[in-house]
Amino acid sequence: MDSNLQTGKIVAFCCNYTATVAPETLREAGLIPANLEFRKLPCTGRIEVPALLDAFEGGAEAVFVAGCHENECHNLSGSRRAGKRVKYTKEILEELDIDPSRVEMFFVNRAETEPIIEAVREMTRRISKLGRLHAI
Amino acid sequence: MIIAERKPLKEILEMISGVEKLLILGCRGCVAVCSAGGDKEVAILASALRLGRKKAGKPIEIHEDTYIRQCDPEYLEPLKEEGKKYDAVLSMACGVGVNFIAECCPGVRVMPALNTSFYGANLSSGEWAEMCAGCGACILHLTGGLCPVARCAKHLSNGPCGGSVGGRCEVDPSVPCIWQKIYERLTSLKQDQLLRKIMPMRDWRPAGHGGPRHRIREDLLP
Repeated sequence: MDSNLQTGKIVAFCCNYTATVAPETLREAGLIPANLEFRKLPCTGRIEVPALLDAFEGGAEAVFVAGCHENECHNLSGSRRAGKRVKYTKEILEELDIDPSRVEMFFVNRAETEPIIEAVREMTRRISKLGRLHAI
Repeated sequence: MIIAERKPLKEILEMISGVEKLLILGCRGCVAVCSAGGDKEVAILASALRLGRKKAGKPIEIHEDTYIRQCDPEYLEPLKEEGKKYDAVLSMACGVGVNFIAECCPGVRVMPALNTSFYGANLSSGEWAEMCAGCGACILHLTGGLCPVARCAKHLSNGPCGGSVGGRCEVDPSVPCIWQKIYERLTSLKQDQLLRKIMPMRDWRPAGHGGPRHRIREDLLP
């Protein structure tokens, strides 16, 4: 991955089914940047709004959640719930004058690495355009 | 139950400017049920305010707690001393809770995180509607159980204003004309004779127009 695009920490929340390859392996293969912090959940339905906000407070420039396609979630509605929580987090960021595109929900194919890598690329593009998130 | 909603974050941030140590205090009563001020909402608000203050370069120490209710004195007892450890207490209860903290906890600075909205019912997950105005003089036995005081934009007591179109209120067409619904319901119950009963001019004193309301039951007093 182009190191010029590494403009700050990105936190990714992925479920067991969307992230089947260990992040260390992807990092060693140069497919994800060193600034990506990977947090694995049993299901993205487990994600709560404070965890997304706390990631920003902890220094993230961008945060994303990668869950199964809505009709393919192992737990039926987990990724749909995650999508709603990401949407609510966007509203809170807007209230705080933080660009809501810094947080995103990606519905991806299960057990495929490429969509996760593409999500990282997309978030990297966004924060490159937006610049640093103030003093965070 | 009492329905409330969180104030805009900017209003809350303005309210707590200068506060360095804050307690956000939720309530597990009505506001928890309507997802405005329970444990989850306390956690979300705490995270949002921490982020907002950090972004402004003024980090804040926030503690989180939720009481069973903020409208009963026994639950507020710990706050009398605990509250003094903070620059302010941001209550996520309805206005009753905020008032009661102010009354019961001298020396504790309390502020509201919510706007208390109305008495409502939960129509579906995430949707609430006003059903009662707490007017203190219930007439639901005459109106098929549907309240024109709370649900008619003009609070009319003796039938519709005549402005409704297609059964929708002329003030807000997203709302049904409650008098139309009262008519339909009483007719279906074969109680439409109740519509002929003229209600006298309403005494608004029990609704609070005679000053703050207060109720005593001698048999329950300590």
